[in-house]
Amino acid sequence: MGRESERLEKWPFARECPVLPPGAYAERRSRCPISQVELWDGSSAWLLTRYADIRAALRDARFSSDSSVPRFPAPNEAIAAARRVQRGFVRLDGEDHNRQRRLLAPYFTVNHVQSLRPLVEEKVNALLDAMETHGGPVDLVECLAEPLPVFLTCALLGLSSDDSPYLLDRVKTWMSADSKAEDATKAANDIIDFFRRVIEIEAANPTGGMVAELIRQHVMEGDISQEELLWMLHLLLVGGFDTAANMISLGTVTLLNHPHELAQMTADPSRVTKVVEELLRFHSVAHFTAGRLAKEDLIVGDQAIHAGEGIVAPLPAANFDPAAFPDPERFNPDRNARTHLAFGFGIHQCLGQPVARLELSIVFAQLFKRFPTLRLAVPESDLAYNNSMIYGLRRLPITW
Amino acid sequence: MKIEILREKCVGAGNCVELAAKIFGQDEADGKVVLKSAAEIDENPDVRQAAMLCPVGAILIDGKAP
Repeated sequence: MGRESERLEKWPFARECPVLPPGAYAERRSRCPISQVELWDGSSAWLLTRYADIRAALRDARFSSDSSVPRFPAPNEAIAAARRVQRGFVRLDGEDHNRQRRLLAPYFTVNHVQSLRPLVEEKVNALLDAMETHGGPVDLVECLAEPLPVFLTCALLGLSSDDSPYLLDRVKTWMSADSKAEDATKAANDIIDFFRRVIEIEAANPTGGMVAELIRQHVMEGDISQEELLWMLHLLLVGGFDTAANMISLGTVTLLNHPHELAQMTADPSRVTKVVEELLRFHSVAHFTAGRLAKEDLIVGDQAIHAGEGIVAPLPAANFDPAAFPDPERFNPDRNARTHLAFGFGIHQCLGQPVARLELSIVFAQLFKRFPTLRLAVPESDLAYNNSMIYGLRRLPITW
Repeated sequence: MKIEILREKCVGAGNCVELAAKIFGQDEADGKVVLKSAAEIDENPDVRQAAMLCPVGAILIDGKAP
């Protein structure tokens, strides 16, 4: 247990199967559930592998989420660099964090999000109409998985849906592994400029909606600065984009691979809730979340961790712990998957989770209803997975 | 079982409302949890799970955040 005398294995671990977590999590969990790993920069961190430990650590205020500090555990150099310039409240601790998050909480209540249902249904239908008109094969990522979350973010923020295509283009360019570095940087800056303009416009001529309300009720009251608001809006876009998009694409493949469970869902649409929860657990797309730094000496499980030491508490490791989810590698919508940690845990648990659940439940219900003969247009072995901060598919050629 | 809400911890995630809507509500103004039932209720597994799902431990069951 604890520090090992042999050279430390580097994290992140490789996946043997593209739709399952690395086997090394299960191996460590049974042999040494809290152990050291080496990170990209040669530093070491404690790797947690048990659901109970990951859950406890993420809820523990003695761990910091401030990824701007140089020692903060990160999966690779690019992500470390990106997180260092992150200024949204995802990297704040304690009351600094809570103060900002709470300003957004009213826009993400269960009731408020449910009120978006007609809008989401209409948009999903429109995107499916376009697919049908075009005829197969199409790339589901381009036609559905990516446009929908950006549209939703615009709707949540009270922006015009006319802004959606521009924002989608900028986000895709910024996040794409295929983009040249300078194009990605320009796209990232364009997104910041876009939100700056939105704030300026709403401050001068409020149109109503979230941004105008936040400016009137909080920026003008001195609760937050305009700069803080800017980074909040940015975080809302980033937090909800490739997470949802990748869940749509990966979820589609998994349902195609489980025709029995798919048939059960089409026969009984009330099952979509269970299907969505199990897909969230099964895919755990935020697979490099969560790193933390200990602010003081503490104990996790039976391991003493010292102030300043980093931990890596991967969500897929928690979600595939057989102690929490028996036979975890089986996609089983009838299990109680609701206790999964796909949205994280603690004060930073995903603010957008009700939105994610809403859009995923509508997408999977409508997609397979509209295209009952949906199938892959390429061999599954041809699918290209995107092993970036959020796991997913670059393209998903489908037909019907 | 005794239910206690720590509103100052609540960040408005809403997991409790989804799990046990008869017991937990959400203040539309600030998103924070509201206890709709009495503090002492019969054993209720949904309420226990709601407390377990609270990401910040703002729901205590018999004095403890599960």
